[in-house]
Amino acid sequence: MKRFIFRYGAMAASAITMLAAEAGAQERLPLLVPITGALALEGQSQRDGALLALEEARQPAARLQYPVYDTGSNPQIAVQAFERAIGESPKPRAMMGPIDGNSMLALLPLAEREQVALLAVSGTARLTELGNKHIFRFFPSDAVVKAAQARYIVEELKRKKVAVVYQNTAYGQSGQEQLAIWFERLGASVAYRNSVPVTTKELSGVIAQVRESGADVVALQLHSGSSALFVGQAARAGLNLPIVGGSALHQPSTAALLEPGELKGVCAETASAPAADENPEIAAFARAFRQRFKAEPDAFALATYDAVTALFQTWQSGRPVSESLAAARIKGLAMTYRSDGKGNMAHDAIIVCYDGAGRTPRIAKRYSRPHEDARAPAERR
Amino acid sequence: MSWAQIAIDGLALGAAYALVALGFVLILNAAGAVNFAQGDLVMAGGFAAIVFVGLLPLDGIAVPGLVLAPLVALAGGGAGWLIAEVAYRPLRHRPPVAVFISTIAVGIMLQHGANGIFGAAERRTPPLVAGEALEIAGLTVSPQTLAIVAAAALVILLLHQLLERTQLGRRLRAAAQDAEMARALGIPVRRLTALAFALGAGLAALAGLLLANVYFVTPTAGLAFMLKAYIAVTIGGWGSLRGAVIGAFLVAMFEVVAGRLYSASLADALLYVALLVALLLRPAGLFGEAAGRRA
Repeated sequence: MKRFIFRYGAMAASAITMLAAEAGAQERLPLLVPITGALALEGQSQRDGALLALEEARQPAARLQYPVYDTGSNPQIAVQAFERAIGESPKPRAMMGPIDGNSMLALLPLAEREQVALLAVSGTARLTELGNKHIFRFFPSDAVVKAAQARYIVEELKRKKVAVVYQNTAYGQSGQEQLAIWFERLGASVAYRNSVPVTTKELSGVIAQVRESGADVVALQLHSGSSALFVGQAARAGLNLPIVGGSALHQPSTAALLEPGELKGVCAETASAPAADENPEIAAFARAFRQRFKAEPDAFALATYDAVTALFQTWQSGRPVSESLAAARIKGLAMTYRSDGKGNMAHDAIIVCYDGAGRTPRIAKRYSRPHEDARAPAERR
Repeated sequence: MSWAQIAIDGLALGAAYALVALGFVLILNAAGAVNFAQGDLVMAGGFAAIVFVGLLPLDGIAVPGLVLAPLVALAGGGAGWLIAEVAYRPLRHRPPVAVFISTIAVGIMLQHGANGIFGAAERRTPPLVAGEALEIAGLTVSPQTLAIVAAAALVILLLHQLLERTQLGRRLRAAAQDAEMARALGIPVRRLTALAFALGAGLAALAGLLLANVYFVTPTAGLAFMLKAYIAVTIGGWGSLRGAVIGAFLVAMFEVVAGRLYSASLADALLYVALLVALLLRPAGLFGEAAGRRA
């Protein structure tokens, strides 16, 4: 733990101290995160991950400010938060952006206008397809994690008839589009596809339709609450199909809603699983997080921690932040980050699975750049 | 999954919706305006149950929801009384829009309060009765489903007895029908209005305890329940307690059947189409007032 704090804390502290000494002024890193609204849970993870990195690094000489702005899971509020953050002195050179894809899409033109680096952990694929040079995504995009999810289903579970249940939000749409591409590429068929509103609580109809479709596996792209509702109701209805979910299902807060028996055989894609990973540095991060926030860390918290730590490193160069991040290769806790030229910094994914004995999953499969090595099984032979 | 199974799921959902809708109508009748915080009181009931689990000195013993139910209902009742005194009474002579704005404000305060205290994560309350799912004639029925239906039926029956068979109930109905006349007859209208708020909020909180075990609770969960209650009351007829209960079961059944036949997204949209059709065909609802306008 001491080594962990020393290593990352010292690294960040030295970066900030040098920066402050060079600039002779305060530095501000506004945290634009959804503390309220539909994505408040993920937003809190983001905020807490950032705060941990900032608090471990903070030195009096650095005079670093990191105000938190609630974006309310709403693009309009996110834009207002950005304008407030940019209007306060000293003008920030970087901001942490909200996790929801719609809010991030609304902020991209503003970041371009103000030449401010926007750190992101949103998975929405489109964010890095618009040619914006100021976005840096430290969570693998849907193009990466959905490739891992689809490959695990087809290559490891050997399932070929998939039922896809997704949220009728930007997050759900983006994920299901990527899943469709990957299932087709891997030679699997989508036997059933249906969307679910966040407000729908009773999913017995959807589960009955999945059963009737003849699917032999379920792929979920749902937010936390809907994921838990589907898994719990499927278990009670005796669906008896393997379920491989989106990253929401790896979150400790999602698992806490379900009985261990309901989670048996359920897997999820994610960038990391800090609560389950035995890597000593990640385990140290998890301990520090639990101690500070009395909660289990998830992949969003760790990705944000890594993003802020990476920002500290690039600040040392004295170059514009966006320029530095675009060229940097940064060893983080979850993975090594490097831009692909579009701002995608994270390219690895893992699959975690629950064994039915507890609520902490084990890492079942690690994928490095899964989207770059997914030839159809026939081609591979 | 058979249609009988779908009907059982719809019955449990309808029972919980009925409690929310009943509370909604009680307050509507007493105050003459819509309580837009009703959904957030459902949410608050779920979180109140979580607080009581932490407060009860039962180390290591799972607290059954049956123990929590009276505590949650009482806490909800207290909140309702407070809303009546703070958000309704000072505005009761203003246009009805003032009351519904103030209840919206109460709802938002409850949401942000819950978010600040409990965080944004979904939480789950204990089941009323714990136990494995039962297999009955090929149907899977969880004890919680049975308990929700039984608890809601009992509460609805008790409420009916209170309103129809007791002096207090007659006074409550008199105050709701014509407050000026009731006041002239010496009925304490102010206290009875506060009591109606307390009863309505208590029912909402109890529904929150029942629903949060199956569907979880978050600070923002109230809006969906508010909308469902509003639709149930509109279909059942404004001001009608019987209509609220039947409307709630119709909404729940529509939700699960349309979700089974089509998709959950389409079922959501179709519910509002059905509401529009119901309003066109029967503007006063199934058991509503022949005339009259409400805020």
